[in-house]
Amino acid sequence: MKFLLFTLLSALLGVFLNIVAPYWVIMIAVTLLAALIRPSVWGGFLGGGLGMGLVWLGQTVYISAVTSSALPDKMGALMGFGSGLSLMLLTAVLGFILGGCSGLLGVLSRNLIQKKPTDVYLG
Amino acid sequence: MKYLSFLITLFLTCVLGVLVSLPFGQIPPLAPLLDPNHGFWQNSFSEDQLADETLSLENLNAAVEVVYDEQLIPHIYADNELDLYRAQGYITAKHRLWQMEFQTRAAAGRLAEIVGPVALELDRMTRRKGLAYGAEKGISYLKENDPATFALAEAYADGVNQYIAQLTDARLPVEYKLLNYRPEDWSPYKSLLLLKYMSDMLVGDRDLEYSNLKKILGKVNLDRLYPGFPSENDPVIEKERVWDFISLAPVKPDSLNYPEETLQLEPLVQPTEGTGSNNWAVSGKKTKNGNPILANDPHLSLNLPSFWYSMQLSTPSHTVKGATLPGALGIISGFNENIAWGVTNATKDTRDWYKITFQDASRKAYKYGQEWKPTEFRVEEIGVKGQEVFLDTVVYTHYGPVVYDQSFKADRQDVNFALRWIVHQGTSNEQKTFIQLNKATNHEQYTEALKNYAAPAQNFVFASKSGDIAMRIQGKFPLKWEEQGKFFMDGADPRMEWQGYIPFEHNASTFNPERGFVSSANQHPVDSTYPYYVFDNSFEHYRNRRLNRKLSGMEQITVEDMKALQYDSYNLQAAESLPVMLNLLANHGSSTKEAQKYLADLKAWDFFADPAKKGQTLYSIWFAETTESIWRELMEQGAPVVRPNNYQTIALMSVSPEDELFDVHMAAGVQTAHYHVRVGFDSLLVAMKKWESKEGNYGWANYKKTTVQHLVPNFKAFSVFNVYTGGGAGILNATGSRNGASWRMVVELGSTINAFGIYPGGQSGNPGSRFYDNFIPIWANGDYVDFGLKKKGDQKGVLFKTILN
Repeated sequence: MKFLLFTLLSALLGVFLNIVAPYWVIMIAVTLLAALIRPSVWGGFLGGGLGMGLVWLGQTVYISAVTSSALPDKMGALMGFGSGLSLMLLTAVLGFILGGCSGLLGVLSRNLIQKKPTDVYLG
Repeated sequence: MKYLSFLITLFLTCVLGVLVSLPFGQIPPLAPLLDPNHGFWQNSFSEDQLADETLSLENLNAAVEVVYDEQLIPHIYADNELDLYRAQGYITAKHRLWQMEFQTRAAAGRLAEIVGPVALELDRMTRRKGLAYGAEKGISYLKENDPATFALAEAYADGVNQYIAQLTDARLPVEYKLLNYRPEDWSPYKSLLLLKYMSDMLVGDRDLEYSNLKKILGKVNLDRLYPGFPSENDPVIEKERVWDFISLAPVKPDSLNYPEETLQLEPLVQPTEGTGSNNWAVSGKKTKNGNPILANDPHLSLNLPSFWYSMQLSTPSHTVKGATLPGALGIISGFNENIAWGVTNATKDTRDWYKITFQDASRKAYKYGQEWKPTEFRVEEIGVKGQEVFLDTVVYTHYGPVVYDQSFKADRQDVNFALRWIVHQGTSNEQKTFIQLNKATNHEQYTEALKNYAAPAQNFVFASKSGDIAMRIQGKFPLKWEEQGKFFMDGADPRMEWQGYIPFEHNASTFNPERGFVSSANQHPVDSTYPYYVFDNSFEHYRNRRLNRKLSGMEQITVEDMKALQYDSYNLQAAESLPVMLNLLANHGSSTKEAQKYLADLKAWDFFADPAKKGQTLYSIWFAETTESIWRELMEQGAPVVRPNNYQTIALMSVSPEDELFDVHMAAGVQTAHYHVRVGFDSLLVAMKKWESKEGNYGWANYKKTTVQHLVPNFKAFSVFNVYTGGGAGILNATGSRNGASWRMVVELGSTINAFGIYPGGQSGNPGSRFYDNFIPIWANGDYVDFGLKKKGDQKGVLFKTILN
């Protein structure tokens, strides 16, 4: 549950906050969000990564669709990546790594201050 | 353990976050570039998708309405001139900010700041030529002598700066994102600098080459191969013109001592060959509707974003439309409700070199007559990306800057020449000329406007609704004695000074000439009866004659006829020289199948350089190889020289093919024109064999491969290659592989103005926009878009509207 919630909220941050704030603000926000929700370690990484990466991918797909601009292809050629498609993937991968690391950092920092509960009744 | 994993993750995340924000060599910072909300993806939107109903522009007296037509041409309706130019600055920046900034950086010698040490030599050269120096003087002159124009230039700059202040990362032009820098503030100084830069693009000199040629050829052959006037002179101002003024006569020194060193310098970078232009106006008596028609097509390097930006500028008292120069105020080539005007380059040698004799190594004084005159030192601070500021000391004499000296290209045998150039004076006001032309309603006001104009000299064509046509060759021209400034001069000899300037009233001009048209195509401005010395190396010999022959023969002219004439691809040079060459070739080489095929192509050719024509390709190679062979020895003397022009070469081939000038001293026997034509033909066979195996198709368009190149040549993906279009150098449609008609305009001045225009690019400077290069196919085809004046509230063909307030 926490994983899904975290992924969804990270994605929403990507959709709305990113309009006004640069990528590194999203990174900090995802970190705080992960610390707040505290998914598992893997959940933090995957959730943050998927949240930011999929949103970035989705936005590139959306922009390409509504503009039908040749710019992604031109940029792909100019940067030596070939086509606009590879730039979409690169954008998605970059978003995934940045979001993933931020999510992971958030979970780990929360783990630092959160004492592992020792008085849990284990049956 | 959890501390360790936390610290490692913290470290890695921070490092990652920082790394993706840093550039690596030529690679721009990755995350800001790829971030879909702020990076290059945002530049995919075309302007109509981002249309705003209102935008904030402060300091306006009243709201300004901007209406874009379907080609994204903005029509600005302002209440007064200050608002108008503020809005022009704002709207131009909105669509062309990167380009206008980049071009002024180039003009100021500030490219190294953004691209690093590779541009340092270029920046030093630009500064040492004194462009910025001239613009600084110009701005002080403007402040003191013409505060009204200065105020308008400040309003324009304020408009640009307000746009820059509002600019978000998302809307930042993609070139900034790729080159990783940000725009800086605009100023009136930059607008002026841009106009000075035009001089740099359009004005050259060949003092060095002619000095060398005089040594190599001797005066007799020099005059023979490089005569002052061609045998068939068809000048800008018709020959029938009577010069009804008493001219000033400069005193020619009785003995002349030119600096006689062995000269082995690299000449200054010269304007690209093929940068010329056509303009003409026909009077109502020659047109079908009885209205004057004016046409203009300036030829320049073909670049993206386009050199020109189209606009309509309106106040309640005037409405003007045409091509603007992004960064300068007003319309440069265009029309209003009463008149139309256009420009072509009036090539004339206005740049001279004086040898400076310094008193000693300190260079604090130089010899002038019997005295030692003090020099001035100007220290140029050149910012270099990734390095310390480079300080360059340039010595200024009263002539101008010493371009090459001990610290710049000192390995050259001869340094310490001062460059004298009108651009350094700063006592002209070109900006005012254009602002006044925009509002002019008749010939008197047009003439009045041109009084402020000094450089680069232009042939200003004019036509008015009231039925007048005119042409004026306007520039500030030094008063020179015969051949003054054709060669290097001795700066220590005061007799070598320019002796003043040709008065404005004596500049060549014509008004409603009998023949019913005026025209210019960069040819000789006048015939030999004009009482002042006129010289330039690069006068045109073909376009002008083709143009004047056509115009003389035409009656009942329509706008369509004038469009067709701008697109005319008749190669007069080929028509005059190919029969001579075929005759000189005789039976040489015709034994092979290929040679027969090419000769058949050539003989069947009608001399039109249309895109599919093979004859044009074959002729252009054959002629180039032939002249290469003829002048090889002259060119390989080890010193820079200019080749005799094609017109003189062809005259020599046809009139005296046995001339001793054709003899190759290195080869045995005696060579004549026959020999060179055959060598040229053999080279053609070799070149064509290579071409046919590599490319196959040798149709003209496929061979010349017209390219419209982005201002950063490395950004190949932003350029447009292999445009399928005809024309070439010396042809009215002067479109070669890298230069050609940069703007075509045809205006009929009837009761309603009927106007058409096109340029090889698009209104948007953004490579992601659908308006970036949408004009190119239309232009390549010789077609136009409608440029009629739009009234406020006109609803037809509106793309979107924006209110500035």
